[in-house]
Amino acid sequence: MAGGEVTESRTHEKKGKKRKKGRRLGIRNDLTPLVDVAFLLLTFFMFTTTMSRPQTMEINLPPDPNAKVEIAESNLLTLRVNAKGDVFWNYGIESPKRIEGSALRAFLTEKRSTNPKMTALLKIDREGKYEMMVNMIDDFGFARIDRFSIAPLMDNDKALMAKVQS
Amino acid sequence: MTPLVDVAFLLLTFFMLTTQFRPQEEVTIVLPSSNSEFKLPESDVMTVNVAKDGRLFLGVDSQILRGRLFGKENELKASVHVEKNQLANYLIQARTMNPKLRTVIKGDKEADYGTVEDVMDILQKTQITRFSLVTDLERSTPQ
Repeated sequence: MAGGEVTESRTHEKKGKKRKKGRRLGIRNDLTPLVDVAFLLLTFFMFTTTMSRPQTMEINLPPDPNAKVEIAESNLLTLRVNAKGDVFWNYGIESPKRIEGSALRAFLTEKRSTNPKMTALLKIDREGKYEMMVNMIDDFGFARIDRFSIAPLMDNDKALMAKVQS
Repeated sequence: MTPLVDVAFLLLTFFMLTTQFRPQEEVTIVLPSSNSEFKLPESDVMTVNVAKDGRLFLGVDSQILRGRLFGKENELKASVHVEKNQLANYLIQARTMNPKLRTVIKGDKEADYGTVEDVMDILQKTQITRFSLVTDLERSTPQ
């Protein structure tokens, strides 16, 4: 293109000069639509992208389902949760006592500090909600109880809890 | 104007490259919240979704593996509905195809604990003894 212009300007010097000048002044790109589109796409990608990855709680089960752990009964804190989400606790074979969910965290922390050898056993009613389990494990984590067992809630556990509640 | 455009395009390319289009979810799951700080791993994740009504959905994050596991027609779905008695089979198959898979349970907070208990039993039976529960970060810390 440049070559063509050069020959042109040689033949009609006046005309070519004029045109050149005019063109240079006339070229002024309007960037506004470009910017509009760029920002539109930008906002689209900003809204669709998911920056934060969800949190996870890691659980390790014993590889052998029949693994037996020997614990002194006085060190075993059993926590039972019924279908309504009420929490009952007891040591060993004592009869269960009810505890408010809001007080659980302080309670566990206190138990843990008075008896570092304590092991927790968590029994949740099958009809309970998954959230209860997550909350309980979260509370365990808060109280630094990193070893606990999860066991199914049997009928006799239910009877025990019903007896305390009535 | 030009620097503005430069910055806009820089951000645009950044977001375009980092974004991952998530395949559509089969069920909406409301996560329970916790104070756990561990992050979900970015790749090689196998998710067992437990819906509010107790249905189970199994998902893996790589599309190729999804295709091999659930067939071509389910390749684009994030997770596929599986019956409880079929779950163990799928878990074993997925793990033989990719032994690096990490298992996570993503349960709805309203889901029955019994279902989750069954899933944990199945995981233990298939020798998956390390798994994670997906939760949201708790906003406030009640004492």
